[in-house]
Amino acid sequence: MKHEIELNGQPVSVEAPADISLLHLLRDYLGLTGSKEGCGIGECGACSVILDGRLVNSCLTLAAQAGRRSVTTIEGIRGPDGVPNDLQQAFIEYGAVQCGYCTPGMVLAGEALLAHNPSPTRSEIREAISGNLCRCTGYQQIVDAILAAALRRKEV
Amino acid sequence: MERFQYVRAASIPDAIALLNEPGLVSRPLAGGTDLVLITRYEKVCDRVVDISLIPELHQITRSRDQVVIGAGATFSEVLENSIINETAPLLAQACRLVGGPQIRNMGTLGGNVANAAACADSIPALVCLDAVAAVITPAGRLEWPLSELIVRPNQTRLPKGGLLISFSYTVPPPGSRGEFMKLGRRNALAISRLTVAALGRIDSRGCIAEARLVPGSAAPQICRFPQTEAILVGETPSDKLCREAARQAVAEMTAITGRRWSSEFKEPALEAMVYRALCTVFNLCQAPDGRPQ
Repeated sequence: MKHEIELNGQPVSVEAPADISLLHLLRDYLGLTGSKEGCGIGECGACSVILDGRLVNSCLTLAAQAGRRSVTTIEGIRGPDGVPNDLQQAFIEYGAVQCGYCTPGMVLAGEALLAHNPSPTRSEIREAISGNLCRCTGYQQIVDAILAAALRRKEV
Repeated sequence: MERFQYVRAASIPDAIALLNEPGLVSRPLAGGTDLVLITRYEKVCDRVVDISLIPELHQITRSRDQVVIGAGATFSEVLENSIINETAPLLAQACRLVGGPQIRNMGTLGGNVANAAACADSIPALVCLDAVAAVITPAGRLEWPLSELIVRPNQTRLPKGGLLISFSYTVPPPGSRGEFMKLGRRNALAISRLTVAALGRIDSRGCIAEARLVPGSAAPQICRFPQTEAILVGETPSDKLCREAARQAVAEMTAITGRRWSSEFKEPALEAMVYRALCTVFNLCQAPDGRPQ
């Protein structure tokens, strides 16, 4: 079937089977490999994308379900001229990236949180990333980075 | 080869027509958190009918003392909704404890009920509210008390070609207080080992006017525990009474399931959870260590 998606602000149209996941479509049909497959069953959050403003697991979303809807992947999160945006920059500064496998999902979880709650507490940040597993950092640096980005965005 | 086809329904009548199209086995697709996984290892249908974008299925409305929740409302939509938080905070609490943020943004109340897992978090809360499920079929509309719709784990009375459209409940009378507790291996993304939904009300004389108790992941069918409730109604709330009710809840669980491999864990855990939930519902100060013995 033809999949038509508004992907990172741009209309995209691609022919692909009806039964594949959104993650499969992104990685194997559109070449966007930023979204990762960790567990494949909705438990690790490495495949997180934002669908119509809500954070979802793209491994459990059918590609067809995203048809004529807006999808934001990690490729759509960037500053001017393609440099890291403020949240991504905070991840770098606070050592929130080690192996990097969870990072795209963590950044999207952070963006989804800040879009709805620009002044989160540490506890709200922990709750917002509770669907994303990180086996390297111990999470503290990720919480610090999201909190730092939130504070900086309020200053601007 | 594609394992199944996909079609999107625009409205409830459209979904019913698509689900009943001759020559095709169709299944409704809501959040997909269960169905998409099942389709990977099992041929369940020729076509999924996506019902997740039907606006009516997301509506949550109140008319006097009746609240109707569209079966397509996601856990996030329910837990953020002001009507639910005002009239049934225990349901909002149950939805808040489902999976993680992503799963709560995708999964729906209707999906939780149609899948009918014994460990589903929203079902004990809905049963505690005496919720009634409405189903549309080509022949018309059917209603079941939720506790009767689910026959046993993963099996419901939902007719083939029918679509679960809503859950309704009567707003508990003023002064009612509810509590929902979940025990899992960790806070997020954990399958419930046990849950407890409780609702109670104390009358003007200080006696318990109403008590409802629904343990989840405790028995094959998620239902109210009438003998435990009977111990409470008409009595003055006390620590001793809550302990007695907690012991009765364990006896009621064991009477349904018999002693199982998990009983050694579930019996003391359920006793403590029921005791704590009832202390909260009846505004009692619980023992410092929260242990009922």
